[in-house]
Amino acid sequence: MSGAYIPLRSAFGERRLRAAGAKTLLFSTECALGIVSVLVVGFLTHWLQWLLPVAALLYLLIIVPVALWCGFWQATVVSLSAVGVQSYFTTRMASTNPAADPANPIELFAFILTALVISRLSARVTEHGRSSDSWGGQMQDLYEFTRRTLQMNLHVEPGLQLAELVHEIFALEAVVIFDADLHEIYQAGYWNVDPQELAQNVYYFESSDDDAETGIARRVLRLGNVPIGSLVIRGDTSPLTNNAMASLIAVTFDRYRAFANESRIETERQTEQLRATVLDSLAHEYKTPLTAIRAASTGLSEMGKLSPGQADLVSLISEQTDLLNELTTKLLTTARLDADEVIVHAVPINVASLIDEVVASMSERLAAMKVEIDVPDDELVLCCDRRLMTMLLNQYIDNACKYAIYGTAITLRAVQSKREVVFSVHSFGPVIPIADRERIFDRYYRSSNSSNRAPGTGIGLSVAKRAATIHNGYVWVASDQDEGNTFYAAIPAQTQKRES
Amino acid sequence: MNQAAIRILAVDDEPAIRRALRAPLLELGFQFNEASRGEEALQLLHSGAYDVVLLDINMPGIGGIETLRRIRAFAPRLPVLMLTVRDGEEEKVEALELGADDYVTKPFSTRELIARIRTAVRRVHAPARAEDAPIEIGEIRLIPSKRSVTKRLLPVHLTRKEFDILYCLMSRAGRVISYAKLLTAVWGADCREEVEYLRTFVRQLRKKIEDDPSKPVYLLTDVYVGYRFADAQMLQSNGDEAALVSNETDQVPGNAS
Repeated sequence: MSGAYIPLRSAFGERRLRAAGAKTLLFSTECALGIVSVLVVGFLTHWLQWLLPVAALLYLLIIVPVALWCGFWQATVVSLSAVGVQSYFTTRMASTNPAADPANPIELFAFILTALVISRLSARVTEHGRSSDSWGGQMQDLYEFTRRTLQMNLHVEPGLQLAELVHEIFALEAVVIFDADLHEIYQAGYWNVDPQELAQNVYYFESSDDDAETGIARRVLRLGNVPIGSLVIRGDTSPLTNNAMASLIAVTFDRYRAFANESRIETERQTEQLRATVLDSLAHEYKTPLTAIRAASTGLSEMGKLSPGQADLVSLISEQTDLLNELTTKLLTTARLDADEVIVHAVPINVASLIDEVVASMSERLAAMKVEIDVPDDELVLCCDRRLMTMLLNQYIDNACKYAIYGTAITLRAVQSKREVVFSVHSFGPVIPIADRERIFDRYYRSSNSSNRAPGTGIGLSVAKRAATIHNGYVWVASDQDEGNTFYAAIPAQTQKRES
Repeated sequence: MNQAAIRILAVDDEPAIRRALRAPLLELGFQFNEASRGEEALQLLHSGAYDVVLLDINMPGIGGIETLRRIRAFAPRLPVLMLTVRDGEEEKVEALELGADDYVTKPFSTRELIARIRTAVRRVHAPARAEDAPIEIGEIRLIPSKRSVTKRLLPVHLTRKEFDILYCLMSRAGRVISYAKLLTAVWGADCREEVEYLRTFVRQLRKKIEDDPSKPVYLLTDVYVGYRFADAQMLQSNGDEAALVSNETDQVPGNAS
């Protein structure tokens, strides 16, 4: 860090000297003007004898304005000069007028004391007034800065805008802001040292200070306790203003990030919605040709007169059409669930009858399977959306049908557990690798174990997961060589009606 | 009923679907005419006689539902089968409420369509059944006058409401009865929304009349629409399919994994 100070000292030494010279010149001028005025009064009282009794008051008339406008030390110099002038002329008058006391020490002492006290008080009032003015000005600048940062265009990175605003509003010589997140430097005004190094050092060494000698203030930009960048300014501002400035800049960066994040989420949502819409319309468009193909192929079979080979081919067309139709339906279902709003119609539903109906509606699919239903509580009621829950169970059962070992049973269970109703579909099939147990619920993901075994799209289980999460529930799977595979869905018993 | 006499009017805006239906239906001895819009269908119905109308629900112009409404205004008994899509449950229910005889969901098989056409036509031409005449479907026999039900000649004990539901479904066997219609018939119009209530009763009923309630053959569910009681023809085709499935699975054991 100290490395940063060396060039600064040499770079700003000249500037400091220049400023000191200007100050001395101003001080001398003010003193000289005061002394000239004292001399004029001295001469006047010397020539116009009747002014003599009020001479001291006349000197005070000079000293007080000097103290008010120029300062205590200038007033002191002028007071001493007044004492000198007065002593000189009194001495001269004593030579011509023996009645005059050449040096009344009491009068002299009283005069100096009065002059100095008045000077001190006046200077203090002036200083106070000046600092109030300056503080008021800085408050105004801060207010303006706050206003402008709030109106800032957050569609673009705010760093450069902030640097320029600080430079303009606080009338600084130079500003540099470092955004640690993007590793970017934004500067305004003229730096005769490398501002990047300057700002980065402040960030890395977390050094916040105000250097009165160089006029440089350094601040680490923080959000809470986390440093997010740094600010270095050169100019005339108070430490308090610098702190406020740094906080405002940090907050603006934070606002920008929140805004950018929100925009990104919105864009993703729109993309997802577009995808769902395209999927939906595509799936709908597929239905017509599918209907024509199915009607035509089954029509051919009905017409008869086909050779065994022809009949086989025709039934192949029918089967594949059914598969394609199933896939299209699944795509449609996903598109619906992914669409912007799924309106949940949660009503109290008897769990046993729900499972029975789902199984009954899948009787074709389950024709070759053994199905066992185990709902211990016949009266168990769950407040849920029947359509979504049917979708969930359909997917679980469909999945079980695909992977179950021939001849084994598929068992459906629903039990109340604490504040949830846990649905489960159990079957014996290939073990699902541990690494896949969560990911199989992701859309389009297919277990490495399954990709070559059964037809599927990797959509079904994601639909089940979505149906559960819409109910504030969750899904998981347990898989074991001996115990088989069990897909679970836990749905809170008091499902709130909500839109997702 | 002579099959050749069945005159079909297929109304669908998709030429491919009309084309796919035309050849097989003509070949199988039906008379086939087609229209691409509801308006055109209404004109054809006014100018000629038909035995059954296949009516697509989603069509440009006045659409299937409005066409059905207008057909019912002048032909209350003409069998109308709606062609619908899988997720159009509300439309299916609306069509049934407006007097459609049945619906088939796209993509349908020609065999299924023909079965539905025959059922619908047969129903219109069948002599009116006496209110309290016994109904026998498969192994289930229901005698309204005695309020008794037997399965394989063994009595099945039903509660009053269960009997009412079963009677309502069996007396219209083969047809889908919407939840609202069934609820109104059994509990009255005030209860037409209480589908959950109905489901619980149907569940009990299935336990009493089905061999395997998880694979019902009599009391079938039309998801989100209603229930239907299988008619003799459906029972037979279900039997055929089951036999077919078991044959297939016998041939390739273990393929299901």
